Amino acid sequence: MKRIEVKLSLSVVAPLLDLIKASGDVLEAQIAAPLTLDDIDADFRDDWKSELLEGQHEEMQALLGLFNSDFFINGVVAFDEDNAEVIARACSALRLRLRRHDLKVLDDEQLESGGVELENLNEALQKPYMCYVFLGTIQELIIQHLDAAILRGPVEPAEPDFGNSSDDAHDNEDDDKDGNARG
Amino acid sequence: MSSALSTPTMRAAEPRLAGSRPMVAPAEVEQTQTVLAPQGPWRVVVLNDPVNSMSYVVLVFRKVFGFAEPVARKHMLEVHEQGRSIVWSGLREQAELYAFALQQWHLTAILESDETN
Repeated sequence: MKRIEVKLSLSVVAPLLDLIKASGDVLEAQIAAPLTLDDIDADFRDDWKSELLEGQHEEMQALLGLFNSDFFINGVVAFDEDNAEVIARACSALRLRLRRHDLKVLDDEQLESGGVELENLNEALQKPYMCYVFLGTIQELIIQHLDAAILRGPVEPAEPDFGNSSDDAHDNEDDDKDGNARG
Repeated sequence: MSSALSTPTMRAAEPRLAGSRPMVAPAEVEQTQTVLAPQGPWRVVVLNDPVNSMSYVVLVFRKVFGFAEPVARKHMLEVHEQGRSIVWSGLREQAELYAFALQQWHLTAILESDETN
């Protein structure tokens, strides 16, 4: 299973976590992206929304779970096929929330171009903007390194392996591309 | 999911006295009229947002629709440059599933009736 570990600077990231947590709490009850359900059957809207919220809840739990006690010892977070998709989504939801609530005074063009100078922002905007950039960086790392895993979908439970050597099972994605038969 | 068919049934039957023989052949006429609810085609449209990155949107399109990368990139650029892209069109129920999937990835996806067809 492909896995990436990222060493983060505790002194930079730790102060951001309270805002990330607070934003995540809001997303327990609020859909992150603007939602237009005008064309959805009225009877169906509540279920639609609650399923989206349930998904957001799982995303927030997964993201906040990265910053556990181990993180505060070694500063390392790990991404793999099991959490890549849900963390990438969590980053998106949180960035949307930050943009709509904490960074609403900034222009879309500024944010899209990345042309915001941290030093030029007032103090109230600096931390939200750092969170916004941090989450974007995490998301980009996942897309760069684990996009194949996300496209492939969750890993199915392995079939019982009766008697075959499992030395190289599932640890080299190139085997199949090269046409090498296993077993 | 959404209601698909509305099938009102009109039934016209002549009143008959109990025990009497019918004067004519059975006069019960059943007419069924099927009215289609707005079933299709529908469009799934993704709107631009200033937050989600281009690479993220491409990934989502590939994941949700199984698009090849160039196709996903083409739709992403449409969203970015024109503010919207029609990413799928077809029957209402499937369109709802796609819109929901895109919203799970936090893209702004809406449904539109494709009145041109």
